[in-house]
Amino acid sequence: MISGDLLREARRRAGLSQAELARRACKPTSVIGRWERDEVKPSFETLRELIEACGFDLRVSLADHDQSQDAAIEASLDLTPEERFARLEAWAAFLAEARKSAA
Amino acid sequence: MTVEGPRLFRPGPMLEALEAESVAYIVIGGTAAAIGGARHVTFDLDITPDRNVANLDRLATALRKLNGHLYGMPAAAEDSFQLDGKTLAAGSAWKFLTDHGELDISLDPDGTRGYKDLRSGAIETQAHGVTFLVASLEDVIRSKEAANRPRDREALPELRRTLELKRRRER
Repeated sequence: MISGDLLREARRRAGLSQAELARRACKPTSVIGRWERDEVKPSFETLRELIEACGFDLRVSLADHDQSQDAAIEASLDLTPEERFARLEAWAAFLAEARKSAA
Repeated sequence: MTVEGPRLFRPGPMLEALEAESVAYIVIGGTAAAIGGARHVTFDLDITPDRNVANLDRLATALRKLNGHLYGMPAAAEDSFQLDGKTLAAGSAWKFLTDHGELDISLDPDGTRGYKDLRSGAIETQAHGVTFLVASLEDVIRSKEAANRPRDREALPELRRTLELKRRRER
């Protein structure tokens, strides 16, 4: 997740407008908008302060990078939402049928 | 891939019944995750209805048409259960077994402020000739993070990765 997405999500979760967050963080409203749109990137420390102003802690830790599922996720994202819904129905029907057969 | 169940699950007729009664609702949970791109298989339809009593009355009518019975309620007690908007408004979560599978109703999903909160990020989707609102993947993740049950924790890494790849495409 990039900083703009994270900041927008934190602000939305807190139920704040950009102007309200700007007031809390003592920053100009226009800068909040530019950070959220990733036109410019805040420093890590500034991002942490903004997240705190939304009422959250920004926790960072190191983890092994795992891309093992990316191909399958990308294939899913290639579908439209309607196709994904149809796929869910088909899976559910198949598994329910399999359960019946096994019983 | 997260797989629950398997149980009978035919969401199409459930959506049609909700549409027929003009119920205002948002699809949440596993079905919303699957529609949002996650490789998630679920066996229930989770919804968050608008909590005004007239809307919940319409939801009650749809549940009756789906032959919905409150999950876990003894048959003897069922006669005294009044399925209407006022009753539904008095609880925060209800689980109904219908002729087409489980229909779970959550008025205030974990980590959210209910229908109006989810409405702003929801996405219109169509299936079975019905147009309905689906919670955004961001909101599904938010709710699962707040619920923090073992099955939520299991599903979250893939949901987060799906969201990350989705956002990368949108850039």
